[in-house]
Amino acid sequence: MSLISRISARSPWLYRINAGSCNGCDVELATTACIPRYDVERLGCQYCGSPRHADIVLITGVMTARVKDKVLQLFEEIPDPKVTVAVGICPISGGVFRESYAVCGPLDKYIPVDVNVVGCPPRPQAILEGVAKAIEIWKQRL
Amino acid sequence: MKFLKLLMRNLAKGPSTDPFPFGPTFTPKGLRGRISYDASLCTMCRACEQVCAGGAIRIDKTPEGMRLVVWQNTCVLCGLCQYYCPTGAIHHTDNWHMVHLEAEKFDQVEEGLIPYVACTGCGAKMVASYPNPKTLGFQPTQEDVEKLRLLCPSCRRKAIAAMGGKS
Repeated sequence: MSLISRISARSPWLYRINAGSCNGCDVELATTACIPRYDVERLGCQYCGSPRHADIVLITGVMTARVKDKVLQLFEEIPDPKVTVAVGICPISGGVFRESYAVCGPLDKYIPVDVNVVGCPPRPQAILEGVAKAIEIWKQRL
Repeated sequence: MKFLKLLMRNLAKGPSTDPFPFGPTFTPKGLRGRISYDASLCTMCRACEQVCAGGAIRIDKTPEGMRLVVWQNTCVLCGLCQYYCPTGAIHHTDNWHMVHLEAEKFDQVEEGLIPYVACTGCGAKMVASYPNPKTLGFQPTQEDVEKLRLLCPSCRRKAIAAMGGKS
């Protein structure tokens, strides 16, 4: 393993995509990042503003028809290797919005998902658990 | 000098960060997490399937009996099923550790089977269910209830009429 791989395994950067979420999961993601009680940065993670800097991508929301192309474009911009985490039940199955005309269906039809974080919305601790799992996968991919 | 007091107090209190991924965490009382289903208490009234907001509960007929399946991945944790369940057969546990890998997506299932029993009157296959005492028209004894429980709807009507109630 090269030096860069060894170092970057300790500090994956997070990127957040809202694929038509109700904002519940986004509030929980903000909670894990901003409130010292949960503090996702203890795991070496940091939220970044650009998809080109991201290593782990957290996707919330049902993938509506309106944002589908934009989400896929953003996802293409994230450099490989990357780990995808589906946050909340909406990207996993569609939740209460399943079978709606405006919903393009579960996220894994378009994007290879690695970790699913279940909950509506998931607890901040559950999100931390999911990020910890994603970091394990991230280390294997490097 | 006020800051010294504050400093001492914060030192005594320790960090406010939850130690979670590296240590234990708290779970509030009454937190709604993974669904638990107990087929032995279920009367198959199908109220949970009716009220389920996320469409997570599915009940289907199998040759052995009625099968109830809950897919945790589309459950919105609203608690309606446990609110409407008359016997407490379906309820939320406080287990929120539901993070899983994509390969385990369709294994996040809670299921139970209610086997058919034979009607004691005619022998037809059916799901045993307790009669509603309000619609019987008479005060049933424990014995009557047990007898009516194991009768199919048509045999039950006859039995209720024989007991002197409204059929």
